Amino acid sequence: MTRPRAFLRSLAPLGVALVLCIGAAPGARADGKEKLKESLQLCAACHGADGNSVVPQNPRLAGLDEEYLERQLEDFKSGARPSAVMAAIVASIDSKVIDDLAHHYSEQKPAKGPPVDAKLAAQGKAIYDEGIVGNAVPACSGCHNDDGSGTDKYPRLAGQHPAYVADQMQRFRSGERANDTKSVMRAVAKRMSDGEIKAVAEYVATLTGGAQ
Amino acid sequence: MRRAAGCLVAALMLAGQPALADRSDAAKSPRGLGSEGYDWHRMTPERSEIVKLKGRPAPGREAFRGCRGCHKAEGEGLIDGTYPRLTGQHASVIIKQVTDVRAGIRVNPKMEPFASDHAMSPQEIADIAVFLSEAETAKENGKGPDPATAAGKALYEGRMCHTCHGGRGEGDRVQAYPALAAQHYGYLLREMEHIRDRTRSNSHPNMVRSVANLSRQQLEEIANYLSRLPDFRKAGP
Repeated sequence: MTRPRAFLRSLAPLGVALVLCIGAAPGARADGKEKLKESLQLCAACHGADGNSVVPQNPRLAGLDEEYLERQLEDFKSGARPSAVMAAIVASIDSKVIDDLAHHYSEQKPAKGPPVDAKLAAQGKAIYDEGIVGNAVPACSGCHNDDGSGTDKYPRLAGQHPAYVADQMQRFRSGERANDTKSVMRAVAKRMSDGEIKAVAEYVATLTGGAQ
Repeated sequence: MRRAAGCLVAALMLAGQPALADRSDAAKSPRGLGSEGYDWHRMTPERSEIVKLKGRPAPGREAFRGCRGCHKAEGEGLIDGTYPRLTGQHASVIIKQVTDVRAGIRVNPKMEPFASDHAMSPQEIADIAVFLSEAETAKENGKGPDPATAAGKALYEGRMCHTCHGGRGEGDRVQAYPALAAQHYGYLLREMEHIRDRTRSNSHPNMVRSVANLSRQQLEEIANYLSRLPDFRKAGP
């Protein structure tokens, strides 16, 4: 029921991006480095220059695995990961620059996560560390690591915005987001309730991923 | 009108609930027990490939990460038997069971998403299998409720279980018959019921015959006995 409003809100960064696109147009013949700089301005509007977005709906990118970032950007481009906002933005960025952007954000230092509701986070920790045994939900730590640092196969979650994490898990659960390899994340999300998703999303914001 | 409202309420309630269908741990398979030409011992192509690979325990520990969410860091599983103890299991058994799940011969919807070729490559399966066969854990297994095990032992031997699973519950590495000693009571009991009821689709036909017509109480006695046997690797010859 909140969908239409959420949709309108999701268009706001698109407006910002369009303004930036038009502004950036004269630099079409710029070399690789300048292209990256231009594109980074686009990204920074929503994700922060250092990839530590302060907007709860926009994910933090700092310190995420380079290949993971690359794949997400390519998936936005191909539509494998649906997002009106991101599709419009990456349409103007060529693959070489996508690689550079992924590299750039993977090298940024992740900031400490946003403040959380401690009680909810404690509930989330139990799920993250032990899973939900009765509902066949594995411990999140199995794949994403105890400290949320992720592995070469599964992304880093540490310090991510809870609103973003919960939203993505709901999209995995509904199948709207289906670019998880072999539907592992969809399978897990389908076994979780709204409340469980909210709690675990709150907890991952408190993780540091080993970076201090 | 009222019925429509009722349907709407029901639909909304369902929408708020996650899907339930994929949480079972055993179901029949068109390729499994009872299907035409079913042969427990037949090697699938993937299993033939994996048994030729050399498993390495150190990379196996790393690759086991994705399994820890359920089977825990040392493969000790859950003490209530929701997830089996894999610590000390024969590598050949791990390889057979994982490849049977991947081939759809053992239907285990609970595990399937985590047993895909993304989660584990053939080499990683070989590595994980060796890691688990050598793994140690200080964690106790889940024991059955009765300290007296004579009734369970009598059934185990009377039903000829020991001819395949060994006098110490050590299984058979060459035949890929699982070690059962020190397994969690809850898991032993549940799997024997699945096998008896033909819902574990990669069961050995002899195994099905052995537990056919056994009552719940008799299965409890066998599970109690096996859960109280020590790890066969430490039990001496």
